[in-house]
Amino acid sequence: MSLTLTCPICGKRNGYEFRYGGEDKGPRPAEEGLSPRSWCEYVHMNKCVAGVQKEWWFHRDGCGTWFTTHRNTLTNLEVEEPEATS
Amino acid sequence: MNRLNNLPTLRINPSEKRTLKYKGQTYQGVSGDTVATALFANGVRVYARSLKYHRPRGLYSLDGECSNTCMEVDGIPNVRTENTLLKDGVTVKEQNVVGSADLDMMGFMDKLDWMMPAGFYYKTLHKPAWIWPLAMKQVRKTAGLGAITPDFRIKGRYEDIYPKADVCVIGGGAAGMTAALAAAESGRRVILLEARPWLGGCFDYRSAPYEDGRPLFERARELAVQVREAPNIRVFTHAPVIGVYNNNLITAFQVGGPKDSFTERYIQIRATGLVVATGCIERPLLFENNERPGVMQVGCAHRLARTYGLLPGTQAVFSVGHDLGLEAAIDLFDLGLKISCVADIREDGQNPELLLGLKERKIAFLRGWVATDAEGGKSIKKAHLSTVDGTISKSYDCDVLVASAGLTPVTGPVTLAQGKTAYDHHTGCFLVTETPKGMHVAGRMTGRNHPRSIEASGRLAGLQAVADCGLDRAADIDAAEKTLAMLPGPERGTKLVTAPIKGRKTFICFDEDTTIKNIKQAIEMGFDVPELIKRFTSAGTGPGQGGIPGHNLPLYVAKYEALDTKPPKPTTVRVPLTPTLIATYAGANHDMHKRTPAHHIQKAAGGVFRRIGVWRRARYFSSDFTCREEILNVRNNVGMLDASTLGKFRVHGPDALKALQRVYVSDIAKLKEGRVKYSAMCNDDGCVIDDGVIVKKGENDYYLTTSTARAGATAEWFRYHTRYEGWDFAVVNLTDAMGVVNISGPNARKVLEKVVDADISNEAFSFSGYREFTVAGAVPVRAMRLGFVGELSYELHVGASCMPALWKIIQEAGKEFGIQPFGVEAQNVLRMEKCHIILGQESEQRTNLLDVGLGFLWDRKKTDAKTVGAVALKQTEGDTGRLTLVGFQMEDSARAPRDGSIIVDNRVRGYVCTARRSFSLNEAVGMALVDSQLSDIGTRLEIFEDECNGQRLYCKVVPRPFYDPEGKRMKM
Repeated sequence: MSLTLTCPICGKRNGYEFRYGGEDKGPRPAEEGLSPRSWCEYVHMNKCVAGVQKEWWFHRDGCGTWFTTHRNTLTNLEVEEPEATS
Repeated sequence: MNRLNNLPTLRINPSEKRTLKYKGQTYQGVSGDTVATALFANGVRVYARSLKYHRPRGLYSLDGECSNTCMEVDGIPNVRTENTLLKDGVTVKEQNVVGSADLDMMGFMDKLDWMMPAGFYYKTLHKPAWIWPLAMKQVRKTAGLGAITPDFRIKGRYEDIYPKADVCVIGGGAAGMTAALAAAESGRRVILLEARPWLGGCFDYRSAPYEDGRPLFERARELAVQVREAPNIRVFTHAPVIGVYNNNLITAFQVGGPKDSFTERYIQIRATGLVVATGCIERPLLFENNERPGVMQVGCAHRLARTYGLLPGTQAVFSVGHDLGLEAAIDLFDLGLKISCVADIREDGQNPELLLGLKERKIAFLRGWVATDAEGGKSIKKAHLSTVDGTISKSYDCDVLVASAGLTPVTGPVTLAQGKTAYDHHTGCFLVTETPKGMHVAGRMTGRNHPRSIEASGRLAGLQAVADCGLDRAADIDAAEKTLAMLPGPERGTKLVTAPIKGRKTFICFDEDTTIKNIKQAIEMGFDVPELIKRFTSAGTGPGQGGIPGHNLPLYVAKYEALDTKPPKPTTVRVPLTPTLIATYAGANHDMHKRTPAHHIQKAAGGVFRRIGVWRRARYFSSDFTCREEILNVRNNVGMLDASTLGKFRVHGPDALKALQRVYVSDIAKLKEGRVKYSAMCNDDGCVIDDGVIVKKGENDYYLTTSTARAGATAEWFRYHTRYEGWDFAVVNLTDAMGVVNISGPNARKVLEKVVDADISNEAFSFSGYREFTVAGAVPVRAMRLGFVGELSYELHVGASCMPALWKIIQEAGKEFGIQPFGVEAQNVLRMEKCHIILGQESEQRTNLLDVGLGFLWDRKKTDAKTVGAVALKQTEGDTGRLTLVGFQMEDSARAPRDGSIIVDNRVRGYVCTARRSFSLNEAVGMALVDSQLSDIGTRLEIFEDECNGQRLYCKVVPRPFYDPEGKRMKM
């Protein structure tokens, strides 16, 4: 409940205003050749990172934008995008 | 009892009388009294009986750290009467007693402690298994706190506010006030929270000198005036903190005064900088019978006299471990309390001025002595003391034993927000070592006790907190740090954990009646971590929220285990830091709902409204809740329904079609202008979540409807499932901008023909058609021919402001045909007879498109669209053993089962979705989701209804729909 998020349009707002949209898993895969397992993995399986992860949020009680942001799941705080590590 | 009515520190107004009822008598208190102090003034010393042993309990901390003074006040149980201001005319009762608190028939329980070692619940009373239900009843009768009647309704007004602050300060003592003033210097918005009804903290009641020789209480009042006068400090007094979370979210509640609009209000604050200056409570001294009425902490005895004008007794013994105890002894002596002796745990380190003060008053002073037992029954007769090593002992007659081992910082707000504490060997306390970003600690909780140090630490923290808001206060912070470094730092504290005693009646936790002996037993059994010992012995799990055992338990465990390598580790503090009424959390409880633009017209027409989702809708138009007349009027004549709650959207833009293809299972590309298409949306599991119609108004310009329940989530759904694509389209929610009138029945065309300027014959405007025309030459409408209720039907969509006019026009035109409004229940029966489903009623989370028989909507060829749900539908198509939607007819045509009844054989095989007695068919029919093995036509189903007393109902599966199977009526 103490979470705040930074909407790209409205700025930093109370976490209650947003709906969680899951981890960022990339675009929908093509339907051809999808096995039940691979589809299920795309839809349901999560990495559940203990640390910083990129995720989708929807500004439901605001501008209605879907956006991605980074959040530290250990502290439940929004963080700056981490530097790319090779 | 005579009050000390002329003290300058009083927080009562002796001239304003208040009354309270207790044990059938009326007692007198005064304005400013708490319920507990008013009772004390009237000679009450035993307030309650303890949880397990029914031991008498009295005033101990006067700050709500234990359940000793929990009573029932005006029907509310477990009220901490020592924190509750006395309102005129309240009724107070004791709890957990058979008889009265003074003479409790359950008092013998105290002798049975040998039967109840630590964790006896877990070991006894459950073998053989049938014992437990019987034992449970007895245990519940004898043990516990207050009880509430199920029909109790709390009185008063409960509100909630959500203020935002640049800096929030928790604690209105000297440190907190100084911090607030320092933060406010820069003009930032500051909120100050104080749990007591006034500002002042530990300065408020003390007459010891501040640096300029004035008493501390004067300094506190001076600071309070400054705080009150600062325009940018918002002060909440009588506002205890409930919780603190990271990102500086603070929750608290405030108790309203006589002039406030609220009884209590919930406060949730978001702050950029936070100062925690919650000060200290006292560490209870552990000795035999350390909770007997008459034993009280230093602050309790001192504040009782100074704040409420009540001497704690006549003859006192002090057993203390801190200079505050000596200060209180001198002050109370001067106020008239006789003191037999003051025993100090410490051999040395006392403030010499205080020692001189004791000497001048000829008060016996014992160094290195401690109380070992409080002898007596419902009050103390004698205090037994011994040297700390237990070799020599003495006894004194007394009726008050002021006992305290030292101080305990209130670090709950810090640790709740993931701050860290560690045991500090100098002070003997758990001090804050690490705070989360934007949080600062100040005052006595840092171990400092010198008045100037307290204030200087407050100023520093206030400046640091305002610097968190992005202000450059580096120079001021630097200066404040230097000032603080020059002042006295944390004082050495006492380490004594227990007096030299065995501990059979030495209570480490009052709320749960946990003794030192219980802790020993738990450790002997192998529990080694305080957190687990807390669970096993329940020490610290009572209403006091660990206020009493919080500090002693880890110290005792560390000492008993004698492991120097492991520092003492306190138990975890959790929310709520202060017990809070559920009514306060519930707040004002607004019933927020939407009304359709035809709300008032329907109300005037006798509509009976019900909450449906976010709306209030007309459910019935008569007191006959079977809706017989409404239904038959639609079937035989014509009716009108307000369908404005439908979700209504415009989707347009170059990529609008692509977006529709993504979320709808049908091929929307085949939709022609002027036609209406019925389709459905699934989720990624193929489970059906929404159905509605789509109209093509132009190239990449669509108008669509969703079910009432999905209207709120539709725009989100479109955008979620296209979020990676970067498509150019807009979803415009027109739900509240448009009203909808549905005209249904064989005479519907006759009604509409009268008021429109267009040809609406069956040839020109056929079933599934879409037209735009003007009603009565003035109201532009979007018209669709649909058949949800199974009759000739027109759905007119109109701008919300025109809705009342359109409603009246149709009603007027329909008069000669007997048009009547019908409600949601009539519609529900009509569409059920036609087996048209309502998602959420004929479906649940697991129901997919195929289960409800809507598979024909799904277009398998548009794989490029990556339609949501298509993959899962393909993969689950052949699955067996799913719940399938069937229609059924009851064997008893007069009796329909209740919605939600279950279909059984020897196990649950499904459930009834909707079932009603059908007036159109003279049968009882319905739809159910059943195991697919039971879905064949003719299968006999057995229905178990709630409270059926073994009487099952029977039906058989029949073809759908029940009414007008060829669908001629809606196409006529």
